[in-house]
Amino acid sequence: MIEARALTKKFGKRTAVDGIDFRVQPGQVTGFLGPNGAGKSTTMRMIAGLDRPTSGEVTVNGRHYREHRAPLREVGILLDAKAVHTGRTAYRHLLAMAATHGIGASRVREVIELAGLESVAHKRVGGFSLGMGQRLGIAAALLGDPATVILDEPVNGLDPEGVRWVRTLVRGLAAEGRTVLLSSHLMSEMAQTADHLIVLGRGRVVADATVDEVIARATGSSVRVRTPDLARLHRTIAAGDVTVTTLDDGAAVVSGLTPTQIGDAAASAGVAIHELVALSGSLEDAYLTLTADDVEYRSAHVTRTPEEVAR
Amino acid sequence: MTAATLTPSPTVRSDARLTFPRILRSEWIKLTSLRSTLWSLGLIVALGVGLSFLVASLGFGMEGASAPDPGAVVTTATIGVSFGQLIAAVLGVLMVTGEYSTGMIRSTLAAVPARLPVLAAKSLVLFLLVSAVGAITMFGSWAATYPVLDAQGLAVGLAEPGLAPALAGAAVYLGLTAVFALGLGTLLRSSAGGIAASLGVILVIPTVLPLLSLAVDWADEVAPYIFSNAGVAMARLPSTESVEESIGQTLLEPGLGGLVVLAWTLVSLTLGAIALRRRDA
Ligand SMILES: Nc1ncnc2c1ncn2[C@@H]1O[C@H](COP(=O)(O)OP(=O)(O)O)[C@@H](O)[C@H]1O
Ligand SMILES: [Mg+2]
Repeated sequence: MIEARALTKKFGKRTAVDGIDFRVQPGQVTGFLGPNGAGKSTTMRMIAGLDRPTSGEVTVNGRHYREHRAPLREVGILLDAKAVHTGRTAYRHLLAMAATHGIGASRVREVIELAGLESVAHKRVGGFSLGMGQRLGIAAALLGDPATVILDEPVNGLDPEGVRWVRTLVRGLAAEGRTVLLSSHLMSEMAQTADHLIVLGRGRVVADATVDEVIARATGSSVRVRTPDLARLHRTIAAGDVTVTTLDDGAAVVSGLTPTQIGDAAASAGVAIHELVALSGSLEDAYLTLTADDVEYRSAHVTRTPEEVAR
Repeated sequence: MTAATLTPSPTVRSDARLTFPRILRSEWIKLTSLRSTLWSLGLIVALGVGLSFLVASLGFGMEGASAPDPGAVVTTATIGVSFGQLIAAVLGVLMVTGEYSTGMIRSTLAAVPARLPVLAAKSLVLFLLVSAVGAITMFGSWAATYPVLDAQGLAVGLAEPGLAPALAGAAVYLGLTAVFALGLGTLLRSSAGGIAASLGVILVIPTVLPLLSLAVDWADEVAPYIFSNAGVAMARLPSTESVEESIGQTLLEPGLGGLVVLAWTLVSLTLGAIALRRRDA
């Protein structure tokens, strides 16, 4: 289990991670989702002790990462940027990593096979394609047979076969009872792989729930409205947690109210309604709603951070 | 809760964990699996032995000599230190900055999150390897020049007091130079910066100091304590009048020279260790 408490990271004046709390449970795949720059990679580097939190803390199985006596058996991590010396062969790279923990060549060969790298194992990493590099990174993450696996954008650069491989692999790891944290800025990938989602936006947790819950809560209260007098309708229904977004085709999407509430309000104000549709969301919609700049925090009904709850 | 279903891989034994000897082994694999390391070390040996042989063959430094001169023999055999120290410094810098430029450092520090054991292991492995290669170079140079000098009746055997320690001193100096540069590389994290800084200390200070001594009188006093002069002292015979004469400037005794180079190296390593410990990877 990974536990973050008020975890914060500032780079100069820029706050990359803004006091987040979350738990990543074993036995399931947790998706770490958010647009580029949301703070996913920074959070993952803090979990592995590579970046020092500005404040707050994060632990893996109850301890700070650096306090573990066998870090590679505890956590296997694939970082977003390549983290391998280009002048070394894949085999020597893995052998050197394994050597720190007294893990032998047989395990190195095992992960090379697992990642499908047999044909390039004795070639220097500098010549690897992005996909090969990702496979090597995943092989390295699995070296210590870790209880927790953290993969930052693992499907980047992989071909469709590789994407399927990662999906099967992480599902299998979770089924074995491991803790799996997987980041992506792509919704579609998460929809097929993750059980649970932690959605980050601008360094904050904007949602922390099962995939189904995120869809239901983030999009369940969205309603598409078409009316000749949007301005008057807007005035009628305006309230604290109601947002109205105008679409290109003249319709508007209202969130924070049910179709019944909107219809009743329009009737009592004498505003004509041409269309009134409850939008049943996809994860894509939920994601856009949760992370879009203009509605970022107001529509964050599923947020469970203490700050959000207190609001 | 579900941990019971974890299926451990039989190839990862339960005693798999960090120990310092294992980190040493990892650093040894890393250092010896890069072509640049093999090239650098090969170059130190080839240039060192080659140049000594050339100098001995041409009779430089022994013009008109009629009796064996141990000081001249040491100077000839250790001539490779001059550029050997530059190659060793570049190797030391790249051992760590190559990890920063490729991102490898993050893999390294994720495996050894305490960080300082990595620097300690790198230092030890680098020191042992470069010193050993230095020893091959220096004793190889002595052996290569022996027949040439012997033909002129100028050869000096290894049993000559101070000779073998001087050759060993030159080898250890190369090892310490590499570690000194490793410390600067860890501090600066950039290949260009690290190489510039270490070559600056090794080459520029001894060049600038004589000029400085025209302006300030303490320049002469500190001269023996600067890095490369203390290194030269490590590779010389203990004081006798003839030794003083042939060197033409005051040098520390070999043992003290070694301590001074060691002190420079420890300062550099300490600065590197502080940066490594404090900064984000
Ligand atoms: N080493 C760094 N120095 C300065 N700013 C950084 C650094 N790493 C990340 N950032 C900034 O922190 C924010 C979060 O970045 P990141 O964690 O990479 O997001 P994500 O992985 O979600 O795309 C971004 O604004 C990024 O520019
Ligand atoms: Mg990222």
